[in-house]
Amino acid sequence: MINKLLSKNNSVLWIIALASIIVPFFLPNRYFQDIAVMTFLWAGLACSWNLYSGYCNRLSIGHAAYLGIGAYSSTLLYVNFGISPWIGMLAGGAISAVAALIIGGTTLRLKGTFFVLSTIAFAEILKVMTITSKDITKGALGVFIPYEPGFSNMIWASKIPYAFLTWIYMIIVLLICVKMERSKLGYSLIAVGENQEAAENLGVNSSRTMLIAFVMSAVLTSFGGTIYAQYIMFIEPTSVMSLMNSINFILLAITGGMGTAFGPMVGSFILTPISNLLRGYLSSVSGLHTFVLGLILIAILLFRPDGILPQLKLFFNGLIKKSKATKGV
Amino acid sequence: MEQILQVFISGIFSGGVYALVSVGLALIFGIIGLVNFAHGEYLMLAMYFAYWMYNIIGLDPYQSLLINLAVMAIIGYLTYKIIMERVLEADHSIQIILTLALSMVLQNLALMLWKADYRNIRIDMTTDTTHIGFLTLSTPRVVAFVIAIGASVLLYMFLQKTYTGAAMRAVAQNGKAAQLMGINLKRTYGLAFTIGITLVGLAGLLLSPIYPAFPLVGSNFSTLAFIVVVIGGLTSIPGAIMGGLLIGVVESFAGYFAGPAYQQAAYFLLFILVLIFKPNGLFGRS
Repeated sequence: MINKLLSKNNSVLWIIALASIIVPFFLPNRYFQDIAVMTFLWAGLACSWNLYSGYCNRLSIGHAAYLGIGAYSSTLLYVNFGISPWIGMLAGGAISAVAALIIGGTTLRLKGTFFVLSTIAFAEILKVMTITSKDITKGALGVFIPYEPGFSNMIWASKIPYAFLTWIYMIIVLLICVKMERSKLGYSLIAVGENQEAAENLGVNSSRTMLIAFVMSAVLTSFGGTIYAQYIMFIEPTSVMSLMNSINFILLAITGGMGTAFGPMVGSFILTPISNLLRGYLSSVSGLHTFVLGLILIAILLFRPDGILPQLKLFFNGLIKKSKATKGV
Repeated sequence: MEQILQVFISGIFSGGVYALVSVGLALIFGIIGLVNFAHGEYLMLAMYFAYWMYNIIGLDPYQSLLINLAVMAIIGYLTYKIIMERVLEADHSIQIILTLALSMVLQNLALMLWKADYRNIRIDMTTDTTHIGFLTLSTPRVVAFVIAIGASVLLYMFLQKTYTGAAMRAVAQNGKAAQLMGINLKRTYGLAFTIGITLVGLAGLLLSPIYPAFPLVGSNFSTLAFIVVVIGGLTSIPGAIMGGLLIGVVESFAGYFAGPAYQQAAYFLLFILVLIFKPNGLFGRS
């Protein structure tokens, strides 16, 4: 039933995704444009996370590690050797791919909670490594990126180019997800997610399928990490690779709907602005905005565990039926 | 050599509290099959409660023990009734995210109510030391260790020797079959969750003369407890006790030889090695 809805209404969601780039142009100031940039970026990141964890129904609570690898690779190459972040982005992707191959190779066969815990463990180990190898990463002090605007430096004075960059990133990840959903890999992955043994009996090579998707997810997340670093212009292990960042991927994906191409995007479109506005307006009471986010998440999990997207789809379907009915009359 | 022994013993002593935290989690995980990532937050709540009891009424943590445990039991039971009971049948991933969200809520509630300041309880005993042979140990740590191990062993005896304990073990083995034998499933789950939270509350109370209370104090303990439980073989109470002691020792040695920054990394590494080579846990049955 839900699958039927999916195929029917992707067009509406594509229109929302593509049209969303207009929004930053209508926002009054840099503060709101910043929220738009973060919304696109986190939409892309959550979709990248979803590519493995959503479709395969195996939570990774360690994706901040790949965000960190992407951010640190490009930044260190840029700050130390003057290599353009565009190239650094690819380097970060390659390093993330290797890391994901190693991590995935050892942990993907673990079941349920074991896998989840192992992702946390790897992310924590990577964070400690980043903090302690001070010669390379400057440790807990973090790295500042010098402000030298220019396309080749991936640094701009205005927020609008960043909005374009993050939007393109989001669209590319969405395209990859939609393509994958309809490919042999996607079908195998969903099958493995629903019932690994049954999928294997039907001839799906489950470990290969999971590893490919896991690496893809890590690489796409790492690309987002580079963009994140170039946008914030300061990276530091305890904030970039925090457990809270890892949880944010899940928060957005769950809110929109896990295992659907557009779910995480919808989640980010709803939650990232709410979260940032709450942080802006409730900043006098520290902790209040995360408290509210947590309550929202609990409410969604208790009452709408499939996320908001299925509800939206039903709503759109209703609209379409209505318009057809009126045309018919 | 004496120094090595001192490091070893101090590891064992912090391991006692880890064991107590983990025993509660093993109980919840083993009997209900519920993954509780907010476990450490209850430790934080108990520490705050001990702090306020000391600061407002003037009862030190050991004097406020009973009332603290009663409050934790009530909080635990309410959590079970309001939230956990609804997701007993749900997917593990839903449970994990739900309890992560719960831990976000509790941490930030503490941040809002009590600010991020470190709250220390300074009783006379805090700075006391006990001498055993050539070893010098801080007295609150010795007390914490003795009570923690005592409580863990008591729980084990309870599960082995009493009717309710046997019912819990039956539910852990096969919930449906146990229900057919006339065991009230939901009440057993509720009891297991309440006991688990009370035990982690006891751990928080024992830590409060040694450790400052702050909103994020529990966050490390949740993952630590999970690691201990996995190393100990998931549902086994003796496994959780041994696992807790082992993690304490590993942490202590990593801190001594490589520096405090590596303490966490060391037990995460141990955890990954166990997952790869002995997925049933070091102390679990295959």
